[in-house]
Amino acid sequence: MRYLIEHETILEYPQTVREHHIELRLAPRADGHQQVISCNIETEPAAELARYTDYFGNRVDYFCVIAPHTRLVTRLKSEVETLKENPFSFEAVPPREEQEWLIKAVRSAPPLNDFVLHRSLLTPTAMKLAEAITQAFPRRDKEKPLLDSLLELLAWVPTVMEYRSGSTEVHGALVAAVAQKGGVCQDFAHLFITVARSWGIPARYVMGYLDPGINETGETLTTHAWAEALVPGAGWVGFDATHNLLTNDHFIAVAIGRDSYDAAPQRGSFKGDASATPPVVTVMMQEQK
Amino acid sequence: MYNSGMQGSKPRTPYHEFYADDFTPRDHYRLLWDHIKATGNSALEAKAHESQLALQAEGVTFTVYGESEEGIERIWPFDLIPRIITAAEWVKIESGLKQRVRALNLFLGDLYGEQRIIKDGVIPAELIYEGRDFRREIVGIVPPGGIYTHVSGIDIIRDEKGEFLILEDNLRTPSGVSYMIENRVIERRILPEFFNKYRVRRVEHYPSLLLAALRALSPRGTETAEIVLLTPGIYNSAYFEHTFLAKEMGVELAEGRDMVVVNDIVYLKTTTGLQRVDVIYRRIDDDFLDPLVFRSDSSLGIAGVINAWRAGNVAIVNAPGSGIADDKAVYPYVPDIIRYYLGQEPILNNVPTFQMTNVKDREYVFDNMERMVIKAVSESGGYGMLMGPSSTPASRKEFMGLVQENPRNYIAQPVVYLSRHTCYMDGELEARHLDLRPYVIYGEDIEVVPGGLTRVALRKGSLVVNSSQGGGSKDTWVLAE
Repeated sequence: MRYLIEHETILEYPQTVREHHIELRLAPRADGHQQVISCNIETEPAAELARYTDYFGNRVDYFCVIAPHTRLVTRLKSEVETLKENPFSFEAVPPREEQEWLIKAVRSAPPLNDFVLHRSLLTPTAMKLAEAITQAFPRRDKEKPLLDSLLELLAWVPTVMEYRSGSTEVHGALVAAVAQKGGVCQDFAHLFITVARSWGIPARYVMGYLDPGINETGETLTTHAWAEALVPGAGWVGFDATHNLLTNDHFIAVAIGRDSYDAAPQRGSFKGDASATPPVVTVMMQEQK
Repeated sequence: MYNSGMQGSKPRTPYHEFYADDFTPRDHYRLLWDHIKATGNSALEAKAHESQLALQAEGVTFTVYGESEEGIERIWPFDLIPRIITAAEWVKIESGLKQRVRALNLFLGDLYGEQRIIKDGVIPAELIYEGRDFRREIVGIVPPGGIYTHVSGIDIIRDEKGEFLILEDNLRTPSGVSYMIENRVIERRILPEFFNKYRVRRVEHYPSLLLAALRALSPRGTETAEIVLLTPGIYNSAYFEHTFLAKEMGVELAEGRDMVVVNDIVYLKTTTGLQRVDVIYRRIDDDFLDPLVFRSDSSLGIAGVINAWRAGNVAIVNAPGSGIADDKAVYPYVPDIIRYYLGQEPILNNVPTFQMTNVKDREYVFDNMERMVIKAVSESGGYGMLMGPSSTPASRKEFMGLVQENPRNYIAQPVVYLSRHTCYMDGELEARHLDLRPYVIYGEDIEVVPGGLTRVALRKGSLVVNSSQGGGSKDTWVLAE
């Protein structure tokens, strides 16, 4: 599928701010699943953009506005081609050898440890989570392919909580969402990741876009979040726990991280009165015929 | 990690630096001893008084926290009887420190690069990935020359047999060097006659060594190097040292708010406009260095400075991310780190250390808490520490809970009875425990300043030498021959 993405963020301040530095993780990823045809970022006031690739492989665009201002706008326009793939077509590793495959993968690429070991308020220990949850946790059956257990986990997440728009805070604690049995896509992704990690499976967070045509949450925003887990033989496989769905060519991945904090689309620091009004974000995702 | 030979052993007599036995000074102290005997206590009293006046006049102070919110500024406590290190002893210390600092810098370059040491199974991945000071934000950035710790302060103690052991590495923003110099200035003034009798090596050139190392890092070349010492401000316990070093080196002393980054170039805001900065000698922790990438609530740092560093437009000393190498949970692995990168046996040994992540070690430590020192891995300055011999049942219980909650965050060491030295305390000569912090500068080559800060536990019997916990100090003489 070919999509056009437009993503605009408007920040407004009641008092002037200055020496404003911004980092954006907004550029869609270029990988085996999607090709970036074009990607442009504009700012208002106009600024000189620079770029680097972060630890997680995300493209970071950054800039500064030094002069006093009360409004700062960033606008991304990108065209992306996603590839249709069958998530089940890969050379499977026999279930009894899967653990060994994972151990080898982590040993040869130590940064994968982050996706197993990382614990935070967003992806707590399974013990912390168990205190807030009534359902029994799904178990990984080592006699079966890991993918089967992950699919069970995927189906289990929506039994713990339901989608409730605006019910949790950005980077809010996962136990809070679980305790109130409701959350947004970030919480669903974090819950999946937390349980997968408790099994010792590398799992990471993905921030991106989902074609509004298949987004069933009734959410007007097309920004979305899901999880990826490392599956022996297949590599990273995307799990959209909000929809109990494996990701497909209707998804566009933007930034990855250990949790939503790492993959935050916009991060900034400025001098001046900190009482900003909440950012106004508008996103348009349109299929290009 | 630890063989249990310690079990059942009795506390031994600490090594005495000054006396060989009850009646005889060690050879290198004989001149000093003869003099003290000949002149008597009243002469010492006069000299002690003189040193106090001099410290007051010079304004040599440090700040203690904990007693009040604001911190109290105190006159630097100084004992006039010098600690003397022979040339032969120094050779070992110097070569041991060079070896250690070289290996630790190779280790840092590897951790923020290929991570061969983890892939080869020499150190466990968890140790790094669960360490608070492993900075993912700087992975892939190679600082000039691959050097991370341009300034290191390595704490050395002497065990009961007189062997020098490494107690801890300080690779972030080690402090105390200004007191090393001030102690020498005072000592020269009050004991001038001895500087003719003993051939004491100089330490006063430290600021010029540091300045040369900083200049060499300037991305615009050494000629035009603009250097700034970045301080967290007047409430920092080491603020005296920040002003001292800035003055001695003739560089700007600035706080984060005095600087601004514009399109990857760091500037100092001056009365005549923005002035480009080439090298930042920072005396604030990584956490506070750049609110854009580290702690976003920090008002002490400079937003955008990490991106400027990545772009190669500014040097930061010590390099961000150095803290993982002096993490106390990494410390037990330093001998292996030396073997791995240099293929050499460590010249200076570690103090035996128990890892609290190891269940057997942990149980042993809980059973022997009165004989242990338990330390939080990311703290320094004697904070977050349990001294077993002086602990109470309540404090032991508290630490047991803390360790169980987060074992990665603690290590334990059997109490080492630090060596003692004669001190002039309120009219009497008395023995007090002490340690030594030499300073290592890694510029073109690695240089260890011959001397260091000898810290003294002023309270009788106490083993805590940290200035923030009521420690004092002595001038440290390294002999040329």
